[in-house]
Amino acid sequence: MTVQIGFDSAWQDEFLKRIDDDGPWGNWELYKLAVEVENHTTIPEFEGLQAPKHLPNLTPLPHQLEVAKQVVESMNGKAILADEVGLGKTIEAGLILKEYMIRGLVKKVLILVPASLVSQWAMELNSKFFIPAVAQRKSYVWEQCDVVVSSIDTAKRNPHRDIIYSLDYDLIIIDEAHKLKNNKTRNYEFVQNLKKKFCLLLTATPIQNRISEIFNLVSLLKPGHLGNESAFYENYKKDSRSLNDDAHLKELVNKVMIRNRRADTGIEWTKRHVETIPIEFSQAERELYEAVTELRSEENWMGSSQFSVMTLQREACSSREAVYFTLQNMLKRQEQPPIAFQDQIQYLIKKVEAVQQNSKAQKALELIQKINDKVIIFTEYRATQMYLQWFLKQYGITSVPFRGGFKRGKKDWMRELFQKNAQVLIATEAGGEGINLQFCNHIINFDLPWNPMRLEQRIGRIHRLGQEKDVMIYNFATKKTVEEHIMKLLYEKIHLFEKVIGDLDDILTRLEFGSIDDHLVDIFGKSASEGEMRIKMENLTSMIQFAEDLKEGELNAATGNS
Amino acid sequence: MQQQEIHKFLERYFHANGCEIIDRGPGYMTVQLTIDLDKELMNRPFYWHYLEKTGGIPNPMQMTLITNQQLSPPHIKGEVIHFGSPRLHQIFDSARNLAGYIRLYENHRQAPGKQVPLRPWLGMNIRVSYQCDRKRDVFKSIGLQLINGQMVESFHDRLLGMSLTPKIPDYSFTLSPLIMPGSGVYRVANFIKAEIEQEDHIWADEARKRWQKDLSLLEHFYEEAEEKGESYENEKTALQEQYEPKVNISIINGGLFYLTDSAV
Repeated sequence: MTVQIGFDSAWQDEFLKRIDDDGPWGNWELYKLAVEVENHTTIPEFEGLQAPKHLPNLTPLPHQLEVAKQVVESMNGKAILADEVGLGKTIEAGLILKEYMIRGLVKKVLILVPASLVSQWAMELNSKFFIPAVAQRKSYVWEQCDVVVSSIDTAKRNPHRDIIYSLDYDLIIIDEAHKLKNNKTRNYEFVQNLKKKFCLLLTATPIQNRISEIFNLVSLLKPGHLGNESAFYENYKKDSRSLNDDAHLKELVNKVMIRNRRADTGIEWTKRHVETIPIEFSQAERELYEAVTELRSEENWMGSSQFSVMTLQREACSSREAVYFTLQNMLKRQEQPPIAFQDQIQYLIKKVEAVQQNSKAQKALELIQKINDKVIIFTEYRATQMYLQWFLKQYGITSVPFRGGFKRGKKDWMRELFQKNAQVLIATEAGGEGINLQFCNHIINFDLPWNPMRLEQRIGRIHRLGQEKDVMIYNFATKKTVEEHIMKLLYEKIHLFEKVIGDLDDILTRLEFGSIDDHLVDIFGKSASEGEMRIKMENLTSMIQFAEDLKEGELNAATGNS
Repeated sequence: MQQQEIHKFLERYFHANGCEIIDRGPGYMTVQLTIDLDKELMNRPFYWHYLEKTGGIPNPMQMTLITNQQLSPPHIKGEVIHFGSPRLHQIFDSARNLAGYIRLYENHRQAPGKQVPLRPWLGMNIRVSYQCDRKRDVFKSIGLQLINGQMVESFHDRLLGMSLTPKIPDYSFTLSPLIMPGSGVYRVANFIKAEIEQEDHIWADEARKRWQKDLSLLEHFYEEAEEKGESYENEKTALQEQYEPKVNISIINGGLFYLTDSAV
């Protein structure tokens, strides 16, 4: 088949005019330079990347090069990069950005990342890629600098938003893009309205198999590609999870999403060692826990849902401070608490006061002294976090706190303090995201999150590229409590810890039963008896195992076909 | 292009444009721009417009460029230039713009007294871009003798071996072209087109296959809609722009070269 050939005739017209006018003629040296420029900027082959040749400070891994190549060559610069945690999505995005800049296709770039990662992104782009990325600090930066890194929360607020809307971006990179899967949020709307040519969405959480999430993320990259919203949902019922059955949708997702697993990369990963450490309550702690648990049977426990009973139970497993804090809040929330309610709270507070020691903290202290190296402690509760910091200090152990709410500069500072001056970093859940701590290889899960993905995110902070030692994970679970149940179910029965994250993602997204949290609340909160609880747990476990088997089967079929 | 090459390139660029390098050291240089180059690079048309209206004293800017952050002294502030940086692209573009057309004479060293005839050549440096969802470029340099129609390839390389000057040397005269420059350009274009048509265009067929596949995927999501609407058309156009194979011939620069008989 023949190809359409275009000839640029503008040069010719001007040339003839200059002959008529007898000039002006260019300078020979510049003329030669222009040809040299041409030789440097031509792309000699359809395939292959130019960027790696210009990056002496970086040796990208094969899977990273492959991703960059695929995005530039076949995805036209619109992609969801969904590698597992710790495979270097930043490097991939940097490679793609550099490649486009070298080809002269991209000049104006906006990079939106979690606040705690802004400096790190800017630094990596500068040092590894020679890209003059600027962390946004002043509002004039948007217009004046070509490559700007900012947090989405800053960017979406005025005056920034109006300025950003007025600009045409060649490339937009969004880290932690799974937060954009709901199209009703302001963040989503903000990103949707940006003017962009190319767009990279980075996420460690794969698109869950929920149809609406796929529609929303793909619509950000390729508006209109899935047809209009209402028609789309008519065909694929909004919350249906039949994605796996629909070959077309699957094909489309493969056109816009790349996902590497640890196992695919061929890199030798350090090992994970998981140790469950059972904790024995002291008498007073046990009494507090029981007192909280009894609330469930109270007929009219004022306005409290099953959930807050559950919360209190879990807090009782963490620290008395956490319980105390919640009790105070419950009291404050009611304008005129009835006497009975006040009494109830007072009674519990007495129980809290009776607790003289924290068995978990004791155990943690022992462990930290034995490890004699850097340790990260994760807890779900701020009160526990503060208590632990105080507690460790009593024994001369230095620690720094870390929370999601910290400003960017403070996060950087805490990370640095931990690296240089402190033995322990105590992080709450929200703080776990967006900080890389691969210089440490011990994690203590002081209390366990219910959502296993969150646990994986915690571990991902240290078990990532650059980690040279085996990673040690210590899980604390208090005996004969809700915690032990969770531990048994999630972390032993389904062998969650032994799995690498990719399997886990798959399994969880394959489960057709909504959020794990809801199920746990139902099991532990609404079961009338131990027996009912056990049966429900068995059910959940077998569902998870079923999903696992399903996946295995599919895998086998897939390999068999190819 | 390595950082050192970039450094050299910048020096030559500013020198060729008559700019003085007022400070230089390892990994950096500070340049005093000329008025013309300020207008070319600094993007401040209002300033120049204002100045011309009011007749003020022009004050072109200075520019500090850092090509190696490790080597440059820490107190030097300036723009970091690397391969791929927008400023370097701007300078690349500028080099192309400023030297799009040229006329040169061979600076021959013939014994004085004898008049030397110089033959007119049309020289064109050309980029052929093969474009679909991917891209590939080929550089060609063609010379066409405007008297006998002789055509040579790698013309630019041949020119690099000669001594050339913008003024006609003493004891020389130019022969008038029999082929007019306009039809010369036409001949060169046809020559290249014919060459391209001879090539095997598997790449284009493959691109069309990928295009078709994406189209049918798009169709699938709209097949039940009666009114396909604007977004469908937009997507369809976007696919065409992404995949449609075409070859573009563009001219980087070119001009007239008056050369001795023995030159080519």
